[in-house]
Amino acid sequence: MGDAMALFELDDVTFSHNPTLPPVMEGFSLSVNEGLRTAILGANGAGKTTFFYTLTGVNKPQKGQVLYKGAPVEYTKEGLRNLRSEVAVVLQNPDEQIFCSLVEEDVAFGPLNLGMSAEDVEVRVAKALSDVRLTGLERRPLQQLSGGQRKRVAIAGALAMDPRVMIMDEPTAGLDPQASMEVMEIAEKLALRGVTVLISTHDVDLAYRWAEVSDVLCKGSVEHSGNAEEFYSDAERVYACGLLAPSVFSINREVSAMHGKDPKPYPRCPCELLAKFGGSKRSGRVRLVPAGPEEAVNAMGSAMKDMKDACSCIYGPDVRRVLGGSADVAFDGMDVCFSRAVEGKDSVLAYDPVYEPFVRGQIDRLKEFGFDVEAV
Amino acid sequence: MADTILEARDVVYSYSRKGPKVLDGMCIKIDKGVKTAVLGSNGAGKSTLFSVLNALYKPQSGTVLYKGEPLSYRHKGVIKMRSEVSILFQNPNDMMFKPYVEQDVAYGPENMKLPKDEVDKRVEEALFTVGMEEYRKSPIMKLSYGQRKRVTLAGVLAMRPSVLIMDEPTAGLDPQMAYEVMEIAEQLHSSGVTVVMSSHDTDLVYSWADEIRVLGGGRCVYSGPPEDFYGDRAEVQRAGLMPPSVFSINEALSRSGAFPLEPLPRTRAQLSVKISGKGDAYGRMHVILADPETDVPGLIASSGLKGISTGVCGISARMAAESSGFKADFPYNGPENCVSKCMTGQDSVLICDPAMLGVAESSVRFIEANGYGSIETDVVNPGLSDRGLSRRRTGRVIKAVCPIAAFRIASGRPRVGMRKRFRRVLQRRKPERFATSWLKRVYVLS
Repeated sequence: MGDAMALFELDDVTFSHNPTLPPVMEGFSLSVNEGLRTAILGANGAGKTTFFYTLTGVNKPQKGQVLYKGAPVEYTKEGLRNLRSEVAVVLQNPDEQIFCSLVEEDVAFGPLNLGMSAEDVEVRVAKALSDVRLTGLERRPLQQLSGGQRKRVAIAGALAMDPRVMIMDEPTAGLDPQASMEVMEIAEKLALRGVTVLISTHDVDLAYRWAEVSDVLCKGSVEHSGNAEEFYSDAERVYACGLLAPSVFSINREVSAMHGKDPKPYPRCPCELLAKFGGSKRSGRVRLVPAGPEEAVNAMGSAMKDMKDACSCIYGPDVRRVLGGSADVAFDGMDVCFSRAVEGKDSVLAYDPVYEPFVRGQIDRLKEFGFDVEAV
Repeated sequence: MADTILEARDVVYSYSRKGPKVLDGMCIKIDKGVKTAVLGSNGAGKSTLFSVLNALYKPQSGTVLYKGEPLSYRHKGVIKMRSEVSILFQNPNDMMFKPYVEQDVAYGPENMKLPKDEVDKRVEEALFTVGMEEYRKSPIMKLSYGQRKRVTLAGVLAMRPSVLIMDEPTAGLDPQMAYEVMEIAEQLHSSGVTVVMSSHDTDLVYSWADEIRVLGGGRCVYSGPPEDFYGDRAEVQRAGLMPPSVFSINEALSRSGAFPLEPLPRTRAQLSVKISGKGDAYGRMHVILADPETDVPGLIASSGLKGISTGVCGISARMAAESSGFKADFPYNGPENCVSKCMTGQDSVLICDPAMLGVAESSVRFIEANGYGSIETDVVNPGLSDRGLSRRRTGRVIKAVCPIAAFRIASGRPRVGMRKRFRRVLQRRKPERFATSWLKRVYVLS
């Protein structure tokens, strides 16, 4: 992590909403490195949202410094516009963020404000809406959308800014499990495109699985920054911060303790846990099918023909749009697929080509648990 | 077969005449005393169903029955029904409209035309249950989201409902607060309230619910125990849901031949037990019963349990730990963590609200019933003092003290004085009801 460039640096920042109130951030020092998937954790009232507002220049700290790309943030109209054209935020409550009457108007608001031409804006809006699977609802009034759909409009609005940093405050709160999976796929895709994604969440399981860096806030200051296991291993600290350890982490710790074994390597998702504690000797075959939406149906069809009794799994929004109805596992396909491989069963995994490094990364991680996935 | 307490029959409801039918032929039954979770994707109609069950909305067709009687939508009938069936909305700000905590909690009981001192008593009791006693006089504006959520819960509890409907009770709460809310739900259940909740947190629901109802397309598409539903992956996917991670990990491990599919673990700790298999030597679990004034560190020191890992379970135990400045090793998920500690061969101490003994029991029982060996348990202070009882004279605490007391007397070995103290309690409760085998063993060991 040492060579990663620090995108944001906060040094001893103090901020309070009102001089008469106690500070919400105090002695807050943290750096956010470029290109890393970062989770911001903490109890209610720990200062997560205030921290995000400080990053985007909404809150000007009373004390301390905020550096963006090595230079202090300028709190002028010009300076803030430059900052916010690169740093996009999705708030927890979409209603605080969307205010136009139609979906496409709202998504276009940001880019238009940056002074882009109408054609460019149109292209960006179309792309952003397809990323969040809202194509076809461009002219729909926002009032008629459900909570989950509104959340996706808010995300599309942020995506249309083509940001360098994407901040998502509780992106999965209030969403049903499948919709949460979709949001996490979007976050993953952005990270693969080189966007620095920051997510704050109360869902420790989700954060543990997704994040490379876990920053834990507690009562307005930074309690931990870096490796998640290091933090969760110290139970007292976890409790003091208002959190609980993720279940995969706890299962691993408990089982390791009962057998008197080293908890390392730490599994982070169910398939890794399975590989560690009781996978079959021989891997099931996994047929990897990276496919765009056009060729997905054919590719999947021929793959399924080769593999008898295989389970068809899907990862990625484009493939899901085409194959979602017919696949065995339309959500969380990657984990299910590799879990089945660990069980010794065959499966086919169709995914958007953009996720290739992510899928390969999972195969590599499973090797750390002594399990070679037979990818064909 | 349990009695049905709330029922919807062929209910059709839409928000506007031309709009889509949010509920379309909804048939659902809620059984008395059964922990029921209502699941479904965003827009499946969970909140609408709750509002219909609580007579906030009148269905266009179909009937809603409470205790077998169709709901009356006249003012009197609605007031009476709502005093028994309470609803806790997802967003606390939707249901708070008084400036001070105390006033807000009192609103419900006042509307029920109760006498002033009864209202006061109920407000105190309700705020105590949610752990917000100190905030009685605070302005609501100054409370955080999680605190507001607890105040609204207190407002609902003050009505002493026999059915409590909770819409997404843990949404927006951090993990510890979410756990505390679930603990309150569990405690209400054990005091006889029928609790119904909706949640998107699959793992949480799976560890809590006896039965689930799954909504889809304005109807109830599944009704029964959660295991049967999650076993059918295609059905789960169609309903817009995901199987709980504990369920799928267990399934995958059993398919790979690590162990048989049954017993199905419901919680993380049960899964850990299953993965580790039977151990050689287990530690012992010491239970300390706690009312809010129990001196926890003192008791631990005087029973020679210092240095042993401690867990906390239940509201009064949590308050006792807090007021005596005691730091437990497992402030959350106490019973499960204590059990796993015992399985590593070490002893553990569980500081437990007497009302939550059943929960502790079920954690131990999973180990024993499934042949993973047995964990010996004992109660350090079986005759919990009745200080809490005299101070609060609330139904909740009486019930809480009762099981142990009842058994002491039923076993024929009561201490002098104890008998007198609890005779009053016994007149209300039959002792056999509480003298479970588990408690018997607890008693004998101690």
